[in-house]
Amino acid sequence: MNEPVVRTVGATKVYRKGTQEVRALDGVSLAAESPGLIAVVGPSGSGKSSLLHLIGAMDRASGGEVAVAGRSLGAMTDAELTAFRRRTVGFVFQAFNLIPNLSALENVMLPMEFNGVKPEARRARAQALLGRVGLAPRASHRPAELSGGEQQRVAIARALANDPPLVLADEPTGNLDSKTGESIVKLLAEVARARTVIVVTHAEALARMATAVFHLRDGRLAD
Amino acid sequence: MIRLGLRNAWRSKSWLAVTTALIALPVFLLLVLQAVSGAVERQTAILKRTVDNTLQLRARGSMGHVNMEGNEDILPQRALGIAQRTTHVARVEHYLLAMTPTEGHNFAMIVGVNPGETKRLESHGEAGNPRIIAGRDLTDADRGQRVAVIGQGVARWAGISADKLGEATLTLDLTRTHPVIFALKRPPVTLRIAGIYASGYVFGDMQLFMPLDAFREVYGVPEGISWLYVQADSVDNVREVEAALRRELGEVADIIGPTAAAEFEASATRTVRQLAAGGAAIAAVLMALVVFFVTLVNVRDRTRELGTLKALGASGKAIAASVIAEAFALAALGTALGAALFALLGNLFARPFFAIGVRPFLAPQYRDSLADALVLGGASGAQLIAWAALAAVAAAAIGSAWGVRQAIGLSPVEALRHE
Repeated sequence: MNEPVVRTVGATKVYRKGTQEVRALDGVSLAAESPGLIAVVGPSGSGKSSLLHLIGAMDRASGGEVAVAGRSLGAMTDAELTAFRRRTVGFVFQAFNLIPNLSALENVMLPMEFNGVKPEARRARAQALLGRVGLAPRASHRPAELSGGEQQRVAIARALANDPPLVLADEPTGNLDSKTGESIVKLLAEVARARTVIVVTHAEALARMATAVFHLRDGRLAD
Repeated sequence: MIRLGLRNAWRSKSWLAVTTALIALPVFLLLVLQAVSGAVERQTAILKRTVDNTLQLRARGSMGHVNMEGNEDILPQRALGIAQRTTHVARVEHYLLAMTPTEGHNFAMIVGVNPGETKRLESHGEAGNPRIIAGRDLTDADRGQRVAVIGQGVARWAGISADKLGEATLTLDLTRTHPVIFALKRPPVTLRIAGIYASGYVFGDMQLFMPLDAFREVYGVPEGISWLYVQADSVDNVREVEAALRRELGEVADIIGPTAAAEFEASATRTVRQLAAGGAAIAAVLMALVVFFVTLVNVRDRTRELGTLKALGASGKAIAASVIAEAFALAALGTALGAALFALLGNLFARPFFAIGVRPFLAPQYRDSLADALVLGGASGAQLIAWAALAAVAAAAIGSAWGVRQAIGLSPVEALRHE
C-alpha cells in the first residue's frame, strides 16, 4: 500500500462572523493515496472548499492536524506555507483564475517563475505542458481570447508547472458545459495517473471516475 | 512579476488616461515652480555679476580725511594685512584722502591711490570709474612722482585745459584752511597734471588722484589708511567677509556694506525659493496621494488576481514587485505627460503663475522688475528630467507603500473569494 500523500486527523475549521461561530469542518480525518483521483462531494456549505484550502496550505486549521507529502502544515510559518504551495500543490479553480494580462504560455510559466526556474527552462516546460493539454497553437493568446474549456486546460497546465505531487481542483467543471466538462474530467483523470488529484465536485461523472470518494455533510465525513 | 505589474498599468485605456492625467497635473505644477525658481536664481546670478560686493572700511567715527576737522582719524596700517588675509576676499584697495579749499566754501578732494586701482569717487559711499577725457591715467611709472589726474571741475578751477596737459601743473598749499579743513604745516607741493577725467556728476569731478606713496610724502602720513575697500569673491560671501572684518577690526573701523545684492538675496530669491520648495512639496504630496489612491484601487480591483498569485506560491516580494511596478509605470507615464505639457505650455503658464502665486509674496520694489526680467522656462532639459524623475520615483515609492502592504497582507482564501 502506498504512503498517503494527504492525511488529516480531526481537522477542524471554525470561521467567526462577528459574534457568530461557523464550524465549516468538524473533525475530518482522511487519507489520500498517491497516485489517484480523489473526489470530495457534498452539498453546498458542507465544507468541501474549506477542506481543500486546508490541504492546499491556503488556510490554517483551527484544530486537528493536516499533513501533506509527509509534512505537517500546522507548524509552518506563512512564508513556509507559501513555499510549500509553490512546490507541492497545483491549483485548478472553478473560474479558471488565469491572469488576464498574461498569455496562456506566460500563465503556465508563472509558478515556475515563483519557484526560481530559469526563463528558458520554464518557457520550454510551459510549451510542453500546453502541448499536453492540446493548446500549443494557442500559447500566445490571452485568457479573454480563449474559450472556457481552453482556459481550464491552461489552468491545469499551470497547476502542473512545478510538477507537484498534489493537484487540488475546486469545481473544475462548474463553469463549463457538460461536453467540455467531460473533456476536462478526462484530462484530470489522466493527470491523476502520476500524482494525487483531489477534486471538489458536484459532477457525477467525475465522482464515478474517482479512485476514492469522500462525502462531506455539515463539515463532517459522511459514512 | 515586474512585467505583470507593467502590463497591469495598461489594462484599461480609460484607467490609464485618468491616472496618468491625475499624476501629470502635479508634475506640471512642480515643473512650473522649478522653472520660476530657476529663473529667479538666474536673475540673482546676473545681479551677482553686476552688483557691488565691496565693503568700505574707515576709522571709527571718522571720514578719514587727514586734514578734516574732527575727521582726521585714519585706520591703522595693519588693517590692510588683516583684510588681505581674510577668507573670501578677492581684492583690497587702500586710499588716503585730504581736502583742499577751492573757491568760497567749496573744496576739492585729494586722493592717494596706487596706480591701476579703481579711482572711486567720494559721493556718499558711491563708487565709480571716472573716464579719462584728456591726457592719460596714472601708471606704475608714476609711483613716487609728483603727478596727478584731475576731474574736469578741478581743471576748470585750476585753469588747466586739455591742450596744456604735459606742461600744466597744480600747486597744493597745505596751509590753507576752510571751515572744515585745518592747516598742515607742510611745504606746498606742485603736481604735474597728466590727465583729466569726467565722472558724470559735479562733485565727482572735484577730485584729484595722485600716487599713494607721493601722497604719504606730501602730507606726511607714513602709514595708515583713510579708506580701505575690500571686495568679496562673491556676493554670497559678503556677509561672511564683513563678519570676519568686524571681528578683527570692529574696534577701530566702521564697516559699510553693500545692501542691494544681499537684500535681493534675502527677499526676492529666498522668497521665491521658499515658495518653489513649498509648492514642489505640495505637488510631490499630490502625486504621492494620487499614486496612493490609485494603488489602493488597483489592489482592490486585483484582489482576486493577487489571491491566485498567492495560491500559486508568489512570495510577498513578488506581490510587492507587481504592485510597485504598476505604481512606477503610472508615475512614469504621468511624469512624462506632465513634462510634455510643461514643454508645450510651460512658458504660457509660468508667467501668470509667477504673477499670481509668487509676486504677492515679494518685496514691493522687486515685483515688477523681477517679473519683467525673468526668462521663464529656460531651465536645462537634463535638470527638468532629473526633477521629474525624482518626483516620479518618490511619489511611486511613498504613494504605493500602503497599497503594497495591503496586497502582501491579503489572505489567499479571502482574496480568492473577493468579488
